[in-house]
Amino acid sequence: MNAFLPSLPTIVALVKIGLLVGGLMTAAAYLVLVERWMAAWVQDRKGPNRVGIPLTKIRLFGLGQPLADGLKIILKEDFTPRHVDKVLYTAAPVVILAASLAIFAAIPFGSSLPAIPALGLTSEEPLLVAPGLDVGVLWVFALSSIAVYGVLLGGWASNNKYGFLGGLRSSAQLLAYEIPLGLGLLGVVLAAGSLKLDTIMDAQASTGVWFAFAQPLGFIVFLVASFAEAARLPFDLPEAEQELVGGYHTEYSGIKLLLFLVAEFLHMVTAAFLIVIMFLGGWHLWGVTGSGPVETWLVAFIRFAVLSAKIFAVILFFMLVRWSWPRFRFDQLMNLAWKVMLPLGIANLVTVATVEEFRPQLVTAVGEGWAKTVAIAIPWAVFFVGWIAAGMLTPSGTDNTPIRTPGPLDAEHVLDDPQRELVEV
Amino acid sequence: MDAILPVLLFVAIAAAVSVGLLVAANLIGPRRSGAVKEMPYESGMDPVHDTRRRFDVRFHLVAITFLVFDVELLFLYPWAVASRSAAGIDAAVQGGLVSSRGLVYGAAMAFIAMVVVGFAYDWRKGVFRWR
Repeated sequence: MNAFLPSLPTIVALVKIGLLVGGLMTAAAYLVLVERWMAAWVQDRKGPNRVGIPLTKIRLFGLGQPLADGLKIILKEDFTPRHVDKVLYTAAPVVILAASLAIFAAIPFGSSLPAIPALGLTSEEPLLVAPGLDVGVLWVFALSSIAVYGVLLGGWASNNKYGFLGGLRSSAQLLAYEIPLGLGLLGVVLAAGSLKLDTIMDAQASTGVWFAFAQPLGFIVFLVASFAEAARLPFDLPEAEQELVGGYHTEYSGIKLLLFLVAEFLHMVTAAFLIVIMFLGGWHLWGVTGSGPVETWLVAFIRFAVLSAKIFAVILFFMLVRWSWPRFRFDQLMNLAWKVMLPLGIANLVTVATVEEFRPQLVTAVGEGWAKTVAIAIPWAVFFVGWIAAGMLTPSGTDNTPIRTPGPLDAEHVLDDPQRELVEV
Repeated sequence: MDAILPVLLFVAIAAAVSVGLLVAANLIGPRRSGAVKEMPYESGMDPVHDTRRRFDVRFHLVAITFLVFDVELLFLYPWAVASRSAAGIDAAVQGGLVSSRGLVYGAAMAFIAMVVVGFAYDWRKGVFRWR
């Protein structure tokens, strides 16, 4: 073996990275098309359905649209205005896209492939770029925080008031929802006992109880937080078109804007992957996929198909929500993050920790079957109590006037402080 | 190294893809400039005063609060992972490093309780209050 040739694991990793990067970029382009079709369907009009094969009359339902869009945007001028901070302005889209692609180093995109002795792969090959990385969840968490840097850099470097305000808002939103996101992750990590996302899927497959059923409160908190992290409606304040033009990417055009938009779309795809992997059982489906090791190509394919179908369903859900919900106001957004989601997240974590801690005692006391039932019933009880409490303690969603009445924990002097009223947001 | 190499490769390739797209568009795209095009975009108006002005201190408060809670969350990760894994708390109890599981559980709950106290303090101080 030549010493300069990369080793087999490196080649395998490179192949996986190539598949993943190519697949993700293509998926992002075509999901934009799906989203536009969806928008057209919701608004009762025809979406993009013209672009097919050039110089022919073949339309192919508009499947050529993403290619045409991509080509056109690359052919446009890459314009940098004079008033911006050039280095940061160029770095921002690169940082945000590189980070949102690199997240997938720790995210499995299937179960695994059976051994291929002909290629020297003697054991099962996991469909994950870095199978040896045992801090997968932390890696995902860390890189999703780097998105904040991209947004803040872009907003600040633009030297534009819309961009600046959009960047501030956006970073405040991403920071605020990072905490409920982390709390949702913690519950799952605790129940699965691992930070590796493939182990988390295996844990759900082996018990047959998806974490969405075992931790309903954590699921809801994580779902809401990941909508906010992906800056999708109803949380799309960073680029509220009617208020801030384009938000942090107001001054961006051409390919740099494309990088931002692709990164934004990838955040949604990442969120869908995480929701499915951590809460909806990953590749597991009762009676279809089994839960043991992968022995045949058929099993590998079925698991991959199940995972992809679930992810696609979650993405469609994201798109439906976009056309069903109005945007939150900024104070409502912050209230939801700090005063609703954070307490609910802590309640979920404490519940899960307590149930997991006393599960052995429970099993010896009432037997395996009943212990399983109780371990699911308690989180559901907490879920309903938390839901009702949150509904009673926070103002009604239809009340759109600024809130002047103090909340349960607000000190009176906070409201009466004349200084506060002078502050402009 | 074997575990981290694919991650480094991925980061390098992701950065290369992003930079490559930028460079490609720079090479292919046209280049035209003009005084009006160079102006900051303010919905068609001439820009008034500088962008770098004072802004609301509450963004700073959110950042500080985030830092506190996020670091506290990170402290909980080792406990969450060790709770049920093979080389976790059970092994530590058997090896005599910790006297009992209950102690670790109690300590974690006490830590979460302290986080909750800090949270209630922030709430009462009006940190989460936006107008």
